[in-house]
Amino acid sequence: MAPPRDAPAADRALACDVMETTIEVAGLRKRYGPTLALDGMTFTVTPGRVTGFVGPNGAGKSTTMRVVLGLDAADEGAALVGGRPYRSLRDPLRHVGALLDAGALQPSRTGRNHLLWLAHSQGLGVRRVDEVIDLVGLGPAARRRAGGYSLGMRQRLGIAAALLGDPPILMLDEPFNGLDPEGMVWIRRLLGSLAAEGRAVLVSSHLMSELEDTAGHVVVVGRGRVVADAAVADLIAAASRDRVTLRTSDRAAAMTVLAGVGAAVTVSDRDTVTVSGVPAERVVGLLNAGGVPFSEVAAHRATLEEAYMELTRDAVEFRAASGGAAR
Amino acid sequence: MRRELRAEWTKLRTEPGAGWLLTALAVLTAAAGAAVCASVTCPAAGCGHDTVRLALAGVQVGQAVAAVLAVLVAGGEYGTGMIRTTLTAMPRRGAVLAAKGAVLTGVTLPAAVLAVLGSLLAGRLVLPGRGFTAAHGHPPLSLADGPTLRAAAGSVLYLALVALLSLGIAFAVRDTAAAIGAVLGLLYASAVLPLMVGDPDWQLVLWRLSPSNAGLSVQATVNLDGLPLGPWAGLGVLVAWTAAALAGGGLLLRVRDA
Repeated sequence: MAPPRDAPAADRALACDVMETTIEVAGLRKRYGPTLALDGMTFTVTPGRVTGFVGPNGAGKSTTMRVVLGLDAADEGAALVGGRPYRSLRDPLRHVGALLDAGALQPSRTGRNHLLWLAHSQGLGVRRVDEVIDLVGLGPAARRRAGGYSLGMRQRLGIAAALLGDPPILMLDEPFNGLDPEGMVWIRRLLGSLAAEGRAVLVSSHLMSELEDTAGHVVVVGRGRVVADAAVADLIAAASRDRVTLRTSDRAAAMTVLAGVGAAVTVSDRDTVTVSGVPAERVVGLLNAGGVPFSEVAAHRATLEEAYMELTRDAVEFRAASGGAAR
Repeated sequence: MRRELRAEWTKLRTEPGAGWLLTALAVLTAAAGAAVCASVTCPAAGCGHDTVRLALAGVQVGQAVAAVLAVLVAGGEYGTGMIRTTLTAMPRRGAVLAAKGAVLTGVTLPAAVLAVLGSLLAGRLVLPGRGFTAAHGHPPLSLADGPTLRAAAGSVLYLALVALLSLGIAFAVRDTAAAIGAVLGLLYASAVLPLMVGDPDWQLVLWRLSPSNAGLSVQATVNLDGLPLGPWAGLGVLVAWTAAALAGGGLLLRVRDA
């Protein structure tokens, strides 16, 4: 296959669309001393949407990203970007833009000079450096020592570095950390527009709520493996299934009636309870029969956070159970 | 390799500490040499000093600055985690080490030339006042003299080799403080180690293995037959240490997780 840089522009664009814009992770296993950091991690990131990479701290998100970038070698399995191992890429920042650790820079160097050496390592010039500085809104701060930056400014500098090579694939580890609300809105918009341009965007977070409005798809991980790999809409639908939100002025009576038929009832507010295990029509019937007043019965819509909690709790319980059985 | 070189050069020239350390290398070397020259006297003919070696004694101070420069500027990315940014941008790790070595050599050599020329000039100015005159058998220091030129050129190479040795150790140790400690220990402790053993055979072996004792024999201009190793053979010992450090550091850089 001809190297992309020699191909005519049209062919190159095509090559980008077809094969350059995926991250494929297959069966990664990685042990650090006694800890198994990755335990068969497998997923694919497809272009054109933001994929959230979510899991509790220590679930293997950063390790996976380091393996994809060729920084750490996996004991087993393969990680490919655009069909090739990262370490075989020429000018890798033109293929993959990554933000792993915003603090990973020399504090005495200015932000602009940090971007400048990165640009030179990819055969890019100072013009591109000034473009990305404008793009992330670093402005005049770019000429100050990076050691004096706030965490939010470091994140912006790290994102500028990731965008430097205008790559079709982006991989950002916890980019929301340390950002103020304005910064959060900014990065959500930026990620959305980068995905809309046809790029593959993988964003990790340990807080599902940060991704709720941004990611169309999530890969949920726990203990080094994938727990769920699904569209956000499907996850929410699954978590909402068979749950009913009930608003009543006589909460105690409602709970007695519903508990009588084996429904699980949790109090979510002063006059609101969530009922699971009983469909909405049956709830209405039971309340009417029991003469319990209510003002609203609606199918419950779970938040992404709830869906996530359910998934990761299952993973943890499963692990605890199987670990106990093994001993 | 061209991109790695360009990136490492940009890094070095935008690191404010590098300029200061290179200046310190030149100034401290010459100043220490001048101080040594000012501390000795030659009251009569045949006082038996090697004036070239006296003038170049500051190299023993300059080598510490060269080591710190190499470890901090070229090898100091582990403390901040920037090494991961570097290896993400330039995944060919052997090329990264080679580029760092080339850039480091490129800036150390001119500073070392200034250090050595400054030392010889200081010696030329100070020594006659301390009795090192032509009448006492010590003509003024001059690069037109073959052995003096060899000692000067050898000292420049010595400083560059110490920098490369330190770079290799920095990549093997991956910790700034530990790397500086290891390099200075190797240079200074190995220099005094032969004085601590009684057995003359072991003394000779340790002297020949010491990168600083053996390496600095390139500065000798008198009693060459009395040296345990010839001037260039001595510098060869330092070359071997440097090659081993770079090979070891490079191998570890390639096989270890970043």
